[in-house]
Amino acid sequence: MIKVLLLSSLLISFTAFADSGSRLVASGGVTGFEGAAGGGITPWAFIGGYTSKEEVSYSANIQYLSLNDYRLTTAGAGFSLFDRVEISLQRQRLDISSGLTSNVFALLTEGAISNANSATVEQDIVGAKVKVFGDGVFAQDSWLPQIAIGAQYKKNRDFDSSLSLPDGSVPLPETGVPLLLGAKDDSGTDVYLSATKLWLGTPSGYNLLTNLTARYTKANVFGLLGFGAEGNDSAKLEWEGSLALLISPTTAIGTEFRTQTNRLGGLAEEDTVVDAFIAYFPNKSLSITAAYVDLGNLPLQESSSGFYLTVNGHF
Amino acid sequence: MIKTARVRALTIIILACVLGGCTSVPKQSLYKEIGGHKTLNTIYGVAITRIYTDPVIGHYFKGVPKKHLRDQLVLQICELIGGPCEYNGKTMLESHTGLNIKEREFYILVEYVQGAMRDVGLTYQQENRILKKLAPIKYQTVNL
Repeated sequence: MIKVLLLSSLLISFTAFADSGSRLVASGGVTGFEGAAGGGITPWAFIGGYTSKEEVSYSANIQYLSLNDYRLTTAGAGFSLFDRVEISLQRQRLDISSGLTSNVFALLTEGAISNANSATVEQDIVGAKVKVFGDGVFAQDSWLPQIAIGAQYKKNRDFDSSLSLPDGSVPLPETGVPLLLGAKDDSGTDVYLSATKLWLGTPSGYNLLTNLTARYTKANVFGLLGFGAEGNDSAKLEWEGSLALLISPTTAIGTEFRTQTNRLGGLAEEDTVVDAFIAYFPNKSLSITAAYVDLGNLPLQESSSGFYLTVNGHF
Repeated sequence: MIKTARVRALTIIILACVLGGCTSVPKQSLYKEIGGHKTLNTIYGVAITRIYTDPVIGHYFKGVPKKHLRDQLVLQICELIGGPCEYNGKTMLESHTGLNIKEREFYILVEYVQGAMRDVGLTYQQENRILKKLAPIKYQTVNL
């Protein structure tokens, strides 16, 4: 948490000197925990930052999500090129408490082992998004949304990193959390299509943003629990949506959802993710987003919801 | 199951907004609501003074009399927001063709107009409703 705070203050101090582009403030959304600009949990068709066709910008972002026995910390950087292409690099780190891993072992060994060390699952995501059609902000005389396609290559770094016990022993060699839960692969590529539209002056003079994203993926819990499963290795189409209302020139409130397919089953059953957020854009260089996120079931934690904080800087 | 219902409710709201436009019908025209010609004239007065001295886009207006531009723009927006005006000047396409105006330059101008509306005292809602009408002008001015 201290690291997160330090990073945020660094971001804030950098942004004081920044020139991040000429587009309207807030029209770049925020950078989500997978590195793509949009809402907190789903990409939008808008290119991150505020670049016009003639500009390039850089971004840095951090996210923190606290879910009781799980903690997800993510950070990354990206480029936005000519309001056309967005490239991002993200590192995710899921910390799992020793209480929870102890319970996993207790369950596996029918109580013979009841004390294990905390565990970490890390994942890297390389993302690219390309705007293919439309202008979701300025084409106000048309109902057509802006469309973008994107891909996220995800590599789980702890697919086979063994869990250890307090005495240093490793009861299940080369078996990381994803493998233990039945995942098949340590990497996968999500592809998605997003349709996004900002309705200026609607409703009642406010601005409303609507987004729908279709994602084709094999990922279990975003890839943090690996990709595919023995016996169920096909990619599925998932739906994601955002609704955001700009209630002032610098503040947006909204809600999102994101469906997941339940491949691993058992402990790792997956639910639809939902969130409610408030995002603050004091200027074009900085945004701070606070959200309440509900992931539903995570292994041995049936109800996983908690506070999510994002800080973005655009330069 | 509760989750699915929630997602469904959200989807219905989104659809309802998209299909129905999420609009509320104002009782009087936006033109009257903001104070008519006087307010528009002040907004563009403020905006044009800033635009003419902007280091990036100011040069486009060299030799264009301020008052002429101001009158034309006031007429144009007056018509767009339900005022008793008829814009009879050159079309936006005519007056911008060949200038090769960059998207960035258009955005700078938009922010001056937005800033002027705010400084003159329009509400955020009035500002957004006017922007909605002005936004499509991008396609009659940029990269021509």
